[in-house]
Amino acid sequence: MAGSSEVNLNESRRIVPLNTWILISNFKLAYNLLRRPDGTFNRELAEFLERKVQANTIPVNGVFSFDHVDRTTGLLNRVYQPAPENEAQWGIAELEKPLSTTEVVPVIIFFHGGSFTHSSADSAIYDTFCRRLVSTCKAVVVSVNYRRSPEYRYPCAYDDGWTALKWVKSRTWLQSGKDSKVHVYLAGDSSGGNIAHHVAVRAAEEEIEVLGNILLHPMFGGQQRTESEKMLDGKYFVTIQDRDWYWRAYLPEGEDRDHPACNIFWSEWHKSRRTGVP
Amino acid sequence: MKREHQETIGGAGSSNGNKAESSSSSMATGKGKLWVEDDQDAGGMDELLAVLGYKIKSSEMADVAQKLEQLEMVLGSEDGFSHLASDTVHYNPSDLSGWVQNMLSEFNNLPSTDLDSSILLSNNQDSQPSTITSLDFSNNSQSKVFVDDSEYDLRAIPGVAAYPQKEFDKSNDRKRMKLTPDGSSTAPAVAVNSLQSSNSSCSPSSSQQAIMAVSGTLSEPTRPVVLIDSQETGVHLVHTLLACAEAIQQENLKFADALFKLIGPLASSQAGAMRKVARYFAEALARRIYKIFPQDYCLDSSYSDTLEMHFYETCPYIKFAHFTANQAILEAFANASRVHVIDFGLKQGMQWPALIQALALRPGGPPAFRLTGIGPPQPDNTDALQQVGWKLAQLAQTIGVKFEFRGFVANSLADLEAEILDLRPPEVEAVAVNSVFELHRLLDRPGDIDKVLGSIKAMRPKIVTIVEQEANHNGPVFLDRFNEALHYYSSLFDSLEGSGLTPPSQDLVMSELYLGRQICNVVAYEGADRVERHETLAQWRTRFDSAGFDPVHLGSNAFKQASMLLALFAGGDGYRVEENNGCLMLGWHTRPLIATSAWRPAAGDSQLPSQ
Repeated sequence: MAGSSEVNLNESRRIVPLNTWILISNFKLAYNLLRRPDGTFNRELAEFLERKVQANTIPVNGVFSFDHVDRTTGLLNRVYQPAPENEAQWGIAELEKPLSTTEVVPVIIFFHGGSFTHSSADSAIYDTFCRRLVSTCKAVVVSVNYRRSPEYRYPCAYDDGWTALKWVKSRTWLQSGKDSKVHVYLAGDSSGGNIAHHVAVRAAEEEIEVLGNILLHPMFGGQQRTESEKMLDGKYFVTIQDRDWYWRAYLPEGEDRDHPACNIFWSEWHKSRRTGVP
Repeated sequence: MKREHQETIGGAGSSNGNKAESSSSSMATGKGKLWVEDDQDAGGMDELLAVLGYKIKSSEMADVAQKLEQLEMVLGSEDGFSHLASDTVHYNPSDLSGWVQNMLSEFNNLPSTDLDSSILLSNNQDSQPSTITSLDFSNNSQSKVFVDDSEYDLRAIPGVAAYPQKEFDKSNDRKRMKLTPDGSSTAPAVAVNSLQSSNSSCSPSSSQQAIMAVSGTLSEPTRPVVLIDSQETGVHLVHTLLACAEAIQQENLKFADALFKLIGPLASSQAGAMRKVARYFAEALARRIYKIFPQDYCLDSSYSDTLEMHFYETCPYIKFAHFTANQAILEAFANASRVHVIDFGLKQGMQWPALIQALALRPGGPPAFRLTGIGPPQPDNTDALQQVGWKLAQLAQTIGVKFEFRGFVANSLADLEAEILDLRPPEVEAVAVNSVFELHRLLDRPGDIDKVLGSIKAMRPKIVTIVEQEANHNGPVFLDRFNEALHYYSSLFDSLEGSGLTPPSQDLVMSELYLGRQICNVVAYEGADRVERHETLAQWRTRFDSAGFDPVHLGSNAFKQASMLLALFAGGDGYRVEENNGCLMLGWHTRPLIATSAWRPAAGDSQLPSQ
């Protein structure tokens, strides 16, 4: 990679808008500092560098948010909702009535990215994104602050995703529509997309209704490199080498990238025969 | 001396994750307005990056991009990276340009004073017993300039970073003093905005307006809410409390009374923190409804000191405050041979043993240490200040630090004049001014805070350390104050629940009482009696900035040490340290609850000799 790095940098700089390029390059640089060759992670420095924002029950651009913590597990979810029409209701979290008794209001459970290691539900980049999601989709978004590697490996992130799904499904105040149920979609980018996928598979197995998955450049892999992996290595901020580090940090010790968490195509063959998940 | 503010979207981690619109119609228009049409605002900051927590001028972007590429290319080797990762102290990641520049400079400084640094290392390691074992830090290596030492005794402040070499000092100062007169890279200016409140039914009083005019601007209101389990089922209780507060605001006391009677049974059906918080807020509401106003909040300071001691033991907030302030003071005192701390609220002096010890462990020996402690008059005329001073003197003697103490009794900090403090010139003695939870008391009378800030400048301090509650409990609208306080103290009480102490622990009960008194003051008192006038970091930043102070950034070393401190507390899981534009905040889950910031008089503002 070192040899061709100059070419790679120039290419992404040509294509990507400057402010985006700076943002992602900044992350890349920071992340390089945080990953240690021995597989440990500098969590303190990571938390120091992370730009976070608080929830805000006062609507901004039509969206408000609040955090919920499950005391027993410590799992935090950040809930984003469209602002109430009635200004008098601003600044308060309404937890008694359903979202609507007539219309369907989708609830998108969102898993942030960060290769299982970085970022949180209250990261500024993800807070901003979730707010946009609410505005664009006229949906409620629940962003899950799942446990991260290397401190918490597989299957912790999936377990937290599952817990979040159950939690969302059981909130009366997230129900909508004439059928009074919570209309759930799962979404995620990068590792979040991976989590969304695996939670959806489990939901299908356990007959919890998920209406759809929205996967944004989801993070999967395998022992064998794909053509696009080889072609794009280092071209757009991401390298095979750093991907390998993150898989080593997430997968159980001793497992390789053909582990079903990472390589879903291998094991999908087995799964699809039982659950009918396409 | 007003500094030129740049209009910017506002910084990281704080309330300003929103787009500041000049007509402030963002809140009223509701949905619809999507993403950034125009990537620049009037201040020249890139809007996209600003919303994401990074302040960078559009004109700087090409330069920053180039530096990022440079770093990418020179840091091909593992060695380069690990040095920057483990040894460099990082400051204010929101200042992207500064952060990148810092790393480039660090990298260029790589091969240097090996001999000196290894002497420093061995001194530190000999004198500091290792107590922290669970966290992994990078390996020490001879070639590093300085190492953030992970082995330390909690009572002493760790880290070679506190004792920088002269060479590092220069770049340190460069970092900290890169605040040029034209105002670039200053403390984040808050979006200029008129006073906003979602429920404002009365306009600010003229004294409030005067305060606002003096302090500059009020940040856009935010209301961070973190619900813990039971609060979900307690939502009815919360709504009733708020409805009662609203009725009081509308002076509909009959309705307020009716609502008040509902609160009791609702509160009883709750468990834990929610019930306790509700009881305190209900009691405060009752005082307003039935007009019961005891006058004794401020009178018995020894009582409140006692309560505070229990609070100090139970949870990490005050310890964090002391720890982070001491760290900044220690770094500011790095090369001084005589130092003088002026403590605006001495109380039991709990902050100072750790600092005295850290000074004792300084390579090259401790400086002469003077402490001036300020406190309120005592009802029984005991000299509480002297007693504390005496104990500290004994401690200092046993560990070999030259120590002098002076106590000053004052009803208000505004009564203090720099002249009476017997200060010596900055070349002779380095001064630190320290204020933990004291400044907000001055906010009732406009002009008091300005007078005090002026006095501080007259003391010509090397550093000013401020710790305050991270909340806006001083807004003009009662209902808003009530709502803010309800959520703030709910988080605080919840963190006490997580402390692992089983009731009826005395510490726990006293801690709750300590907070309960604050709740009562915020909700039930007015005018001069309402002393708990907490304001947010953003608000304090504006005041300090307007008054002619520059921020001194707390760095990643202080952050790391504070994080380690928290790991020692039972129920430590929920506590979070957060970096916010050079300041450090401690919170419960995602809700920051207290904030430490450090300041120095603006360069060029006084006759400080250049350092």
